[in-house]
Amino acid sequence: MLLGGTISTPPASLRLKSTLNPQNAVTQSSQAAFPAAMQRKPPSYSISDEDLKSRGFLLRRTPEGLNLDQLNSVFVAVGFPRRDTAKIEVALEHTDALLWVEYEKTRRPVAFARATGDGVFNAIIWDVVVDPSFQSCGLGKAVMERLIEDLQAKGICNIALYSEPRVLGFYRPLGFVSDPDGIKGMVFIRKQRNKK
Amino acid sequence: MLLIPISSSSSVLPQSFFNSTSSYSSNHHSLFLSNLSYPIPYGSRKLKTLRLRANFWESIRSGFVKNNNSTQLVEPPSIVDEEEDTEPLLPVEFTLVERTLQDGLIEEIIFSSGGEIDVYDLQGLCDKVGWPRRPLVKLAAALKNSYMVATLHSVMKSSSVSDSGSGSSEGDSGEQQQEKKLIGMARATSDHAFNATIWDVLVDPEYQGQGLGKALVEKLVRALLQRDIGNISLFADSQVVDFYQNLGFEADPEGIKGMFWYPK
Repeated sequence: MLLGGTISTPPASLRLKSTLNPQNAVTQSSQAAFPAAMQRKPPSYSISDEDLKSRGFLLRRTPEGLNLDQLNSVFVAVGFPRRDTAKIEVALEHTDALLWVEYEKTRRPVAFARATGDGVFNAIIWDVVVDPSFQSCGLGKAVMERLIEDLQAKGICNIALYSEPRVLGFYRPLGFVSDPDGIKGMVFIRKQRNKK
Repeated sequence: MLLIPISSSSSVLPQSFFNSTSSYSSNHHSLFLSNLSYPIPYGSRKLKTLRLRANFWESIRSGFVKNNNSTQLVEPPSIVDEEEDTEPLLPVEFTLVERTLQDGLIEEIIFSSGGEIDVYDLQGLCDKVGWPRRPLVKLAAALKNSYMVATLHSVMKSSSVSDSGSGSSEGDSGEQQQEKKLIGMARATSDHAFNATIWDVLVDPEYQGQGLGKALVEKLVRALLQRDIGNISLFADSQVVDFYQNLGFEADPEGIKGMFWYPK
């Protein structure tokens, strides 16, 4: 499962060593220098990359090959508004990390999530979507676990998101807590131009 | 002394403020990061109607909240209303307050949304408000990676100087002493298209209670809106939720909750 606890920034060399030695949870050099809580184990996901691949799902971490019209269709399918693809392209260019799942058979995106932030302290995860035809088989979890891991690998400790009430139960088992210490997510509300 | 220029995505260059600050103390070195200009966003033409419909948060709007603070600001607090899109673009830098102090000094509070910020000054300000220390290199990187950094500076001038073309006057007489001090900051990260999140809003405790924090956030929000960012969000500690509510922010709109991953 996910790494427990909050990990403050271990040095890059430590992280590299961890991922190069998947068999050993911790490298020798790290034990002397850092307390156990800061050592990062290699990621162990609920569903492994191999598992996903064997089911025909390919993990992607860049926008290369991502068809924005098809992504838009997934957005619409889950109830998001359809967006201008030119704007989506701009948004993806200014994204700290993104992850999407390509279904090999159709070459279409079936799951997606991205994170924005300042690259050092904070990141917010947006647009977490799974095509309704592919929901409930672990794809959303797979995307979230890896996105969080990627953000952590950059040293970002503060990872947040805004969750619709009906999916709070999806984020909680992943380690998300709502309103910790009474911190409230707030959104600027503008007057509508056309009153309904 | 080297400083970090912060560019927003607009093509307005940050104004250099330092020709006129002859007495500004420069006994430390700051980190200098170059090449901070953002590319012109692709598709930067205004797609207002499309954007309003496409914005996820538009579906949860519930009307606007009037900004009803009363302050001694030179520029009256603006109410975000239907005319917002026809308002002139907010200048990158302008004076919020100008007042004469007891000893004849004139103090100007200057707002800037694209100006330069000295990380040492920022760290000093964070210390003053009691925030835990963060590594300077990371602070600098966070600022560089922010879409917009808004600052408040206090500039002290002696009133014996004639006020023709204040600020960056060329013929500096030896008597025109100016002291510039960072007294507030707020920054926003963004994907340059849909969402922006405001972080790190702080005002020097000596300058709190004057409506400067409200002005800082209000101007930052207006600048973001004028760049077509439709969704502006933030996370507020419980004791400042009311502060942001008075500025037009709504907590948990339609039950949407802010969540943090394994918060400390």
